[in-house]
Amino acid sequence: MILIDCPNCGERNVAEFRFGGEYNPRPQNPDDPASDAAWVDYLYLKENKLGVQKEWWYHRAGCGLWFLAERHTKSHAVEKTYFWEAAK
Amino acid sequence: MSTKTKDAINPESQIQNPKSKIQNRLSSHPSHKVDYTRPIEFEFNGKKYTAFEGDTVASALWAAGVRVLGRSFKYHRPRGPFALTSGDTNAMVRVGDEPNVRPSMKLVEPGMAVESQNVWPSLNADIMSLTSYGSRFMPVGFYYKAFFRPKALWPTYEKVIRNAAGLGYVTTDTPDTYYDKKYEFADVLVIGGGPAGMSAALSAAKTGARVMLLDENPYLGGHLAYERQSVDTKNGGAKAYELADQLAQQVLAHPNIQVELNTSVFDIGYHLWVGAVKEGWTNTDPDSIQNPKSKIQNPEARLLKIRAKSLVAANGAFEQPLVFENSDLPGVILGSAAQRLMHLYGATPGKRAVVLSANRDGLQVALDLLVAGVQVSVVIELRDQPDSDLVTVLESAGVPVKTDSIVTKAQGNKGVRGVFVSQAAKELPLSPGGIKAIRGTKEFVICDLLVTSVGWTPATGLLYQAKGRMDYDEQRAEFLPAHLPPKVHAAGRVAGAHSVKAELLEGEMAGLNAAADVGFGKGASKKLQNEVAKLKAAEPVRTSALTYIPGGKKSFVSFDEDVSIKDVRDSVAEGYKSMELLKRYSTLSMGPSQGKYENANTMALCAEANNQTIPETGTTTGRPPFTSVPLGALAGRHMEPVKYTPMHDWHIARGATMMNAGLWKRPEYYGDPAAEVVGTRNSLGIIDVGTLGKLRLYGKDVPKLLEMLYTNKWSKLAEGGVRYGVMCNEEGIVSDDGVTANLGGDEWYMTATTGGVTGLYQDIEWNLQSGWDFDVHAVNMTDDYAAMNLTGPNAREVLQPLTDIDLNNEAFPYMAARQGTVAGVPAILMRIGFTGELGYEMHVPAGYGLYLWETLMDAGETFNITPFGVEAQRIMRLEKGHFIVGQDTDALTNPFMAHLDWAVKLDKSDFLGKPSLVRIQKRGVEQKLVGYEMLDSNIVPEEANQIVVPNPDRPIGLETIGRVTSSRYSPTLEKSLGLCWLPVDQSEPGTEFTVRIRGELHQGKVVPIPFYDPDGKRLKS
Ligand SMILES: [Zn+2]
Repeated sequence: MILIDCPNCGERNVAEFRFGGEYNPRPQNPDDPASDAAWVDYLYLKENKLGVQKEWWYHRAGCGLWFLAERHTKSHAVEKTYFWEAAK
Repeated sequence: MSTKTKDAINPESQIQNPKSKIQNRLSSHPSHKVDYTRPIEFEFNGKKYTAFEGDTVASALWAAGVRVLGRSFKYHRPRGPFALTSGDTNAMVRVGDEPNVRPSMKLVEPGMAVESQNVWPSLNADIMSLTSYGSRFMPVGFYYKAFFRPKALWPTYEKVIRNAAGLGYVTTDTPDTYYDKKYEFADVLVIGGGPAGMSAALSAAKTGARVMLLDENPYLGGHLAYERQSVDTKNGGAKAYELADQLAQQVLAHPNIQVELNTSVFDIGYHLWVGAVKEGWTNTDPDSIQNPKSKIQNPEARLLKIRAKSLVAANGAFEQPLVFENSDLPGVILGSAAQRLMHLYGATPGKRAVVLSANRDGLQVALDLLVAGVQVSVVIELRDQPDSDLVTVLESAGVPVKTDSIVTKAQGNKGVRGVFVSQAAKELPLSPGGIKAIRGTKEFVICDLLVTSVGWTPATGLLYQAKGRMDYDEQRAEFLPAHLPPKVHAAGRVAGAHSVKAELLEGEMAGLNAAADVGFGKGASKKLQNEVAKLKAAEPVRTSALTYIPGGKKSFVSFDEDVSIKDVRDSVAEGYKSMELLKRYSTLSMGPSQGKYENANTMALCAEANNQTIPETGTTTGRPPFTSVPLGALAGRHMEPVKYTPMHDWHIARGATMMNAGLWKRPEYYGDPAAEVVGTRNSLGIIDVGTLGKLRLYGKDVPKLLEMLYTNKWSKLAEGGVRYGVMCNEEGIVSDDGVTANLGGDEWYMTATTGGVTGLYQDIEWNLQSGWDFDVHAVNMTDDYAAMNLTGPNAREVLQPLTDIDLNNEAFPYMAARQGTVAGVPAILMRIGFTGELGYEMHVPAGYGLYLWETLMDAGETFNITPFGVEAQRIMRLEKGHFIVGQDTDALTNPFMAHLDWAVKLDKSDFLGKPSLVRIQKRGVEQKLVGYEMLDSNIVPEEANQIVVPNPDRPIGLETIGRVTSSRYSPTLEKSLGLCWLPVDQSEPGTEFTVRIRGELHQGKVVPIPFYDPDGKRLKS
């Protein structure tokens, strides 16, 4: 079981968290027919990266914070975690 | 023999106490873990035996002359312990009702009933052992080849294989029990309580770090515990077992060190999450941990889940068996096994021994055997220049030492009767694998014991799991740690240090470095590191590159799985050239010992068959479990939480049949669900709806939040209003539904589905925390409120006297919400009705739930109030044509398919799923959810029955075009009705269709919904 470093609570077992998927901001003007491809990309095409991935985690059994983590998908090294504001 | 020599080989003469002499046992000695004053009776295969406290099943039976404990997995060859460690898995026994017990780890307890496994009809006359004579019929990959086709026969094959190749059996009448688990934390976790591990624990503990030390044995000391020779430490010399005790006392006395004995690590996961099983007893008295004589029995194993901050692997090495013909015969044992028998348990290993040696350890074992009174016929030395000091002692005691020699074959039926020895080719040892020539004449030496000491395999399995990399050291013929991940250290034999001095110093170094990793101390000094490196470099080679003797037919590399040298070669010849493929095809290293005693030999054989070097062949990935783990320990206690509403006990007292609703329990019905429907529709019913998801929303921007969450419009919902809404995910798929009430003063109340509310709340939080800049606070109140629905034509009349809220239809109309008190309890009331009748849904703080429920039951008595369950609710909602998210919809259902077009407002600027719904609406839908009734009202389809049309090209002449998702007999309308999916062009009311029910075809017809009270007159009255 890996450890996730909650920016509020510190390192906790991953079982306390919900994984929220890759950081993948919603496209601008998604209703525009011209953005069909961007919308499909947003919904279905995950990067599924080997390496450091920026991703969402939710501390469900803790403080209730949604935060971002940069985690290596092979070694599971969590390089940093931070609030959403810093990701903008 | 000179007096000096006598003393050298008989150090016991000074401490021997003749009174303690027991039959079949050596004189008692301080290194013994058995207590001769405490005999224990136990049974093996129905016969009584005497053991002593501290004995394992294997040691007690060996001392009693029992060497065959079981039969092998495939050929049912007789097998016994050969290592006296956890690796003796091919001789696993059954103890009481527990199968697959490792005999060399299990301590004998009074009255214990031990049975051998994998024998039929009995241990001595095993019919399956005939397969041994016909082994050409069971070639490698046998199970794959013989049983692959035809697939349909697999169930039959499986039964036969299970009987022939089973590993014990499981009784089904064992009383229920569970294994508990324990969470542990350590700054420095040390695996292995030998010299390196204890040294590491002590040096780390001295820095102030919190240390945990694990060992699979019931005592500390590792190999020191079973050795009696003098060893060199940095503080001078000591007897090995005395040094073990000295170190153990320091470790046990140290306040920073937690010691867990009988504890096997089977898994090292990411971020040093370590799984271990602690078996046997726990002893709370630290002084007696070292001494199993005063143990407290603890019948179950415990699973330890340990989060370590840094780790020292000091888990030693396995003595490596040499593979030759019949080397699996009982009585062929490892040198360390002989020492364990004599020095831990006082058991005589045999009467006449041959020792096969390739290192100093082998010669030492020969001396130890002499001391124990075993006749050593000859020492067969693989080396040409064995350690002269020990050779001199042996020869002066009359033991010939034959250099440059090998054992080619063991002879015997149920145990060794003798061995063939030969002169070997001069260029020994060859690398890798075998030798090229055997010279000279074969000589037969009679013996009942062959002891082999040809080398050590570092126990790197756990380091592989920790993502370490090992490299093959050609000179030492060992795979040694080459790269370890941060915060993982290795010390002692697992890291290639063999002398006690090197083990102790390397342990000290690793302990200091591990402590420094987590902020304690400065780590090992340069001086210490250099000294360790120097000592290790100067050590003599302990491991022979020779792994097998060619020429034998019954030469087994794997005892667990009966894989022979020939099988390995055949597998490689068939193309399974890589270790990973070879392992899976031949089942090598996939048995209960996880390859502990076979991996090194397999690698050498594989390399040779591929004409490669060992590094080119490489090793396999280490996967958990490293050691066998009882499944019960992994399963642990049943810990799934259950949620009860405040009225739960009332439901039970009323005889309700309960059902699961997520984590909740709900009444499915109290009696006859149809009667519950009729009672509610005709007069009054009440249902516990406390499992509904409930959210309180606060803030001026709640309408904006609702506009984003729901597909319909919310900004104009006035105070006191309730609205139904559907939610979609970004794919435009229906994800939840429910109602939300505007309570006024920027307070809102939302209900959601029982199963969906947790995710919904988290999704709301995600949006609020990542870009929806709304002034909103959401609180999940699901568990804090009780909820019930009082419904039926008499609901108003019963409720009005109990509440300060005006229930008049104009004052509190349908789809309105009010706050007030009911029976003195603060309540939120919503006039909504999934039943289709006048109804009031009441939400009150959970602590008042039962009180209000009972008050309403009393008040409703004059109107024959009917408590009803989920089944009656489902019938009534179906009569109203309401769908259930997740039952009538699935992961592909968008609102347009579920006749929810009215609730999707694409003119809103944005909401979750809108971009998808805009596109879906353009594309149109292919299927629709519609109401139906069966032409024959006695026919009630099962939910998930298929709607079909004839098609001669399909297997049974039918093609599926839709399916039934909800189906009930309506007691109100006296019809069989429900909801189903149909193609859009066949979804108009009046269209008939065919549904296949239990193989028969029946006719149904699409009808408009709601089925009952389509204008909602009753609901709004
Ligand atoms: Zn947190």
